[in-house]
Amino acid sequence: MSDTTPNLIATGISKRFGNTQALDDVSVSFLPGEVHALMGENGAGKSTLGKVLAGLHAQNTGTVLLNGRELIPGSLDDAFHAGVRIVHQELAQCPNLSVAENLCLHDIPTKGITVNFAEMERRAKTLVHQLDPSIDVSKPLGFLSPGRRQICQIAASLDKNPDGSMIAKVIVLDEPTSSLSISEASVLMDIARDLASQGLSIIYVSHRMSEIFTCCDRVTILRDGKFVATNIVSEIDEPTLVEQMIGRRIETPTAKANGSKQSIETQALKAEIGTADHTPVSHSGDPRLVIRNVSSPGKLDDCSLDLYPGEVLGIGGLVGAGRSELFDAIFNIDTRAKGSVKVDGDEILGKGIRGAIDAGVGLGYVPEDRRIQGLFFNLGIDENIIAPIMNRMASSIGIRDRAAELETVRRRIGRFQIKTASLSQTTPGELSGGNQQKLLIARWMTQHTKVLLLDEPTRGIDVGTKAEIYKLIREAADSGLSILLVSSEMPELLALSDRILVMGDGQIKGELTGNEMTQTKILTLATQEKAHALI
Amino acid sequence: MTTAKHAPKTSSTKPPFIKRLMAHQESGLVLVIILIALGLTLFGAVNPVETKTAIERPAGSQVILLDAQGNAHENGTIARTKIATFRVQSGDSNTDYPAETIKNYDSTTDTLYKLTTLNPFLNKSNLVLVTKDASFFAIIAVGMTGVIILAGIDLSVGSIYGLSAIIGAMALQALPADTGWIVAVPVALIVCMTVGTLCGLANGSMSVGLGVHPFVITLGMMAILRGLTVVIPQEFYGTQSIGGFPTSFTTGFFKAEFYGVYPVPVIIMILCGIVGWFVLAKTVFGRRVFAIGGNEVAAKYAGIPVGRVKILVYTITGALCGLSACAYLGYYGAAETNAGNAYELQVIAATVIGGASLMGGRGTVIGAVLGAIIIQLINNTLIIFEVDTSYNQIVMGAAIIIAVVIDQTKQRIQARKA
Repeated sequence: MSDTTPNLIATGISKRFGNTQALDDVSVSFLPGEVHALMGENGAGKSTLGKVLAGLHAQNTGTVLLNGRELIPGSLDDAFHAGVRIVHQELAQCPNLSVAENLCLHDIPTKGITVNFAEMERRAKTLVHQLDPSIDVSKPLGFLSPGRRQICQIAASLDKNPDGSMIAKVIVLDEPTSSLSISEASVLMDIARDLASQGLSIIYVSHRMSEIFTCCDRVTILRDGKFVATNIVSEIDEPTLVEQMIGRRIETPTAKANGSKQSIETQALKAEIGTADHTPVSHSGDPRLVIRNVSSPGKLDDCSLDLYPGEVLGIGGLVGAGRSELFDAIFNIDTRAKGSVKVDGDEILGKGIRGAIDAGVGLGYVPEDRRIQGLFFNLGIDENIIAPIMNRMASSIGIRDRAAELETVRRRIGRFQIKTASLSQTTPGELSGGNQQKLLIARWMTQHTKVLLLDEPTRGIDVGTKAEIYKLIREAADSGLSILLVSSEMPELLALSDRILVMGDGQIKGELTGNEMTQTKILTLATQEKAHALI
Repeated sequence: MTTAKHAPKTSSTKPPFIKRLMAHQESGLVLVIILIALGLTLFGAVNPVETKTAIERPAGSQVILLDAQGNAHENGTIARTKIATFRVQSGDSNTDYPAETIKNYDSTTDTLYKLTTLNPFLNKSNLVLVTKDASFFAIIAVGMTGVIILAGIDLSVGSIYGLSAIIGAMALQALPADTGWIVAVPVALIVCMTVGTLCGLANGSMSVGLGVHPFVITLGMMAILRGLTVVIPQEFYGTQSIGGFPTSFTTGFFKAEFYGVYPVPVIIMILCGIVGWFVLAKTVFGRRVFAIGGNEVAAKYAGIPVGRVKILVYTITGALCGLSACAYLGYYGAAETNAGNAYELQVIAATVIGGASLMGGRGTVIGAVLGAIIIQLINNTLIIFEVDTSYNQIVMGAAIIIAVVIDQTKQRIQARKA
């Protein structure tokens, strides 16, 4: 912190969406040269505050002052030119256009009536190469890794005045690492620190505790749209922050008792979902799922594993390590995969998706992106749940049995406590993210399912629902289901898994059991050999 | 025992009947149809069409012209305005017609013509005519609804219809003229629908198997099949039209008369509508069509056989083109090489007016049938108002855009409420 005069001051900000009071009289100020975190549970209002500051939302009351000048509420244009920039997930990006075109979309340089591609690439290079000189700006944006796409977005805010000074004074990073792997995230945090050292204010919206302690100077906690506290990071500890966020203190009695090196967060999670005293499933019987030498060109390299009944086998690794690709191969979505996948001794590889979910085999797959790969937004909750087995419940010529369908749906909704107004009238778009995710897991809770593949089952949902889902996963496993769990949330992976496999470069790098299961061990394995997984 | 009757009504969570009815996607279409029909009926009542029909009278009867005083006159010896009564005398019995109900008396053919005023819209033959004209492409629109829900498109339907009609006509022409309908109808149905099914199968399997957008495949098929439709009769018969079918097939079946109208194509349309609705709403196949149209990737991950469902939908659409072509052959008694020209646009228009979204995931068969009827009602309106038929296209085009804009506005309002 080089300066003590704030350059961005928000006073008395309130924002209401329909019946929801997203922000309630929040006042915060930001200093030049600091990375200032906004933290809180989902729905606490941290993202909304970031968007109000950047002019994406107009606040109902309150003012935002940038170096003494009041910004026009809800004017992205005003904030943009004054120097408040925002980088967020939903920001328009055209994956089919080149990096250069994406960066210059607002002002495409021309030569006569044609686009001046040379000038465009020159401009893009000056922006991007401040952060990562290895990015080829002529490549389509869609070809880049998520981390580099994020870097390109940040680079778009680094345009300069003719005198060489940065136009941007404040950059809001809205959940910048939520889709990034750990090593990508650490690169991004370095960038945030670096930009702050050049005198910018970086507003860092995040819910990842570890990131706050790694790269932030101060942290403001919001709860239910209200301001709780602004803390100096070096003077505060994790339990206090959690207490501020959730309004109560999480007791972690087992943390020291069992002498493991697990983090407080994991211990707390285990205590909450009741797995603190869980003993790993024994491997005495026959494994349920046997995978041998599965390879797929460019994606997987000789993967083998065994999964036992009732076991949760966690798969850790960085984004791009081949975890989702492994699931796609097991589920026969990747038709080029070679090797052997057996469920209870029956070979299923190459038998198509129908072969994988066949009643006798019993595979289920909850894919990573619920909006793109999971939900039917034009259909009701009932049909979303029943989709894979609708044919099994129907008559031989395919006429549906509505009564049986509704009974099944009701039972699963009850078990998963999915909050929905109606079974067939409500569509998934009207559900919260947590309920959407529960719906997708419920989809595979058939009596025939033996093996469940879960890919990031709690991405982007609130803490309360996460705990519910953890309990449901654990219950399902305890009742005999075998579960493969891919997760980038370390505490989740550590708290739920009986064993953990770590993947990297399409290979299985190693297996961790018992007390070896720690964040450090996973990271060490994941980053083995190829330290620059970001490339 | 009246307690049960007076028991307080349990508060139902369902909204009132009218509200539920209005929430239906088709309610707007029915409303439009009712409004157009009402308007045309009123206009027709103000401007009725006068027609004359011959009065049937017993053989050997005589027409006697009486003046106001009851004196009989010879035809030609009394002015028309002086005639008070036309008397039909048959032996001892007389039937009197007041002069104002009689259009004229044609003495050369000895026929007495009755004056009838007719509402040009609201009469059974016009109503059946309108729905009959709609039925040929409404039948295809039933299949097209499935295609559009899949977020696909089929531009070749008009050409499939034409080719099925030509091949079916060739088969029918080869039958002896006195073939009974029990043979002629199944033969025609099998030939036409086989041709249609094969074309649809080709559309579906090429677009799925080659991974090419159905727009491209069906655009190509549209040209290829239309070419075959023109070339085949040229090569084999040297003509542009094939006719001469067994009468049992035409007036004996597809143009059979009931109560003075020819309703068979309309009945086929209604049956197709009901079956289509049932398949889309009540069968696993139908719901899979919606699932794929809503989110194809998710459908794949949910284990839905995406390719198979798609191919089947295109195949069914082809088969329905064949069915429609068969009805066309029976109704008109001949196949022209330009049969079904530009039908694809009418069919797509009907489905879109019926509430189907070209983005996929949404649409109803009943809506498509109603959409087809609306298109024909608009045509009928122009005829009744005696507007030149060249204006048809302009009005039709505007109707499509208006219908879609209204539908989308409705969607947006509903979304905002939710």
